[in-house]
Amino acid sequence: MKPIRKILHGWCFIVIAIGILPFVVPGLYMHYITGVMCFIAMYGALALGMGVLLEQAGLFSLAHPSWFGIGAYITGILAMRGIPSIAAIIIAAISVAFLAYIIGAPLLRLKGYYLACATFALLLIVDITIPQLGSLTGGHDGLLGIPPLSIAGFVLKGDFHFYYLTWGLCLGTLWFLSNLMRSRFGRAIKSFNDSEVASKSVGVNVSGYKLQVFILTAVMASFVGSFFCFYIRYANPLMFGFPLMVELVTMMIVGGGKTLYGPLLGSFVILWVREIIHIYLGKVLPVMNAQIDATFFGVIIVVILIFMPGGLAGWLDQLIQAGRKVRERFARA
Amino acid sequence: MVDVSKHFGGIFALNKVSFALRRGSITSLIGPNGAGKTTLINVVTGIYTADEGGIHFQGKDVFGLSAHLVASKGIGRTFQLEELFGSLTVIENAMAGCHVNSQSRMISCGFSLPSARKEEKRIRNEAMENLVLVGLEKRALDPISKLPLGERKLVGIARALSMKPTLLMLDEPVGGLAAHEIKKLVDLIHTLLSKGLTILIVEHNMPFVMSLSEKVIVLDEGSKIAEGPPEEVRRDDEVIKAYLGEEVSDESHSGP
Repeated sequence: MKPIRKILHGWCFIVIAIGILPFVVPGLYMHYITGVMCFIAMYGALALGMGVLLEQAGLFSLAHPSWFGIGAYITGILAMRGIPSIAAIIIAAISVAFLAYIIGAPLLRLKGYYLACATFALLLIVDITIPQLGSLTGGHDGLLGIPPLSIAGFVLKGDFHFYYLTWGLCLGTLWFLSNLMRSRFGRAIKSFNDSEVASKSVGVNVSGYKLQVFILTAVMASFVGSFFCFYIRYANPLMFGFPLMVELVTMMIVGGGKTLYGPLLGSFVILWVREIIHIYLGKVLPVMNAQIDATFFGVIIVVILIFMPGGLAGWLDQLIQAGRKVRERFARA
Repeated sequence: MVDVSKHFGGIFALNKVSFALRRGSITSLIGPNGAGKTTLINVVTGIYTADEGGIHFQGKDVFGLSAHLVASKGIGRTFQLEELFGSLTVIENAMAGCHVNSQSRMISCGFSLPSARKEEKRIRNEAMENLVLVGLEKRALDPISKLPLGERKLVGIARALSMKPTLLMLDEPVGGLAAHEIKKLVDLIHTLLSKGLTILIVEHNMPFVMSLSEKVIVLDEGSKIAEGPPEEVRRDDEVIKAYLGEEVSDESHSGP
């Protein structure tokens, strides 16, 4: 029983730390820090889903940002037409599930790089199509003036509310996925990643499970998209698509996709590193733009891949194991 | 199994092979390399679809069914190259075998609902029982990569047993095992037989096959050339020519 209690303690510690953060940071920085933390939670939740899809299930789908974008747009369009927030979020999720089903059923027959190519095409198609839909999506300007999120007459807006909403969503996602991966469903998913032929031989309906995990992560991305558009109150074609895909992959590599929580750790590290780069390099360099960001991420990826192939999470696991060994040696001595 | 054929391109991997397995018996399938033994297992389990013929299992037609549906009918197997799930631990591999006799869906698993937790507990107990049966209970929490070959083969058997199969097909179970490991495996197979399983073994190790089997089927170049009790097959001229004759020199060092 002991290890389970230990894990619970670790969880509680993180949840409490996140819960009290807005109260312990100095008031001056409160908005800034909770704001960044909101983005960390949302990108983290996205990266968590992508991690399960790519690393645990071995389905190399690069279309993850599309589901996020489609979810955000559907929610925004519906909310602007006076549909209640909750209904908009649910309709978006159902639409995304339906789309993921239609697209996933034929695409998931592909494997490895072929699947990556096909889903990359999907990403570009969505990226190009959305601005072309004219008045429905607001073209290249995107959706402006999305009403705030209101649940049962209670209006939620601003960093403080969204800090708890987004972290609730993110930790809820982590909890759901960690339950899932330790269950019958998770074993089925990991099994076809290890050996498809053996997986079939123990009775796993491989294509069915591939489709299920594809739809599940798409719906999760749609939920994040919904919260995202309610948080920043606009939706814009630039906020998803290729750059977001690169960012999510970076988070997965830096955090370590082999562990479940790695991508969330990656999101935390990447977004804070970017903030720090912006604050300090903004003073030195004449311009600060996406290209400079990309250069830094490139350097970070190379350094991580050389020195920590398992990402930060893999490195942490190694540290914990090494620590345990040292403790055992002391206990014996 | 009636007149099953399978060809890859112009080559017949199986040419009108027919045989029947008696419930609760051990049958061995032997033949030189490339005779189509593994292909035959793959065809029965639905990994490959045969070009023609018919396969019946317990009165039901299983010809042409997808592999996961064949598995749900109660046909378990192991693999020549283990094909274990490397990202799972030993007990999780055995638990993965319980897939066919459990129902929990994505939602109940993800929210860890009582029904899913209860089923998980049942699966864990069943998997543990099978690990005890093959003698790997102390290795339950180890990752697969830490296990030596002999134990990996046993994990494969435990995984197949978790499916609660009525027919168990072992693809080269003793390949690469030491003498004492083979002896343990023979005991295990006798235990399984006493539980009423039907067992089909594909194997090269002649002493192992001859001592264990009730019936031996010999394949050569995709065709069945002999079938019968071990003593009879051993005396069959065609078998000696096709298989035993050229393998005798190998036997002296491959046997226990």
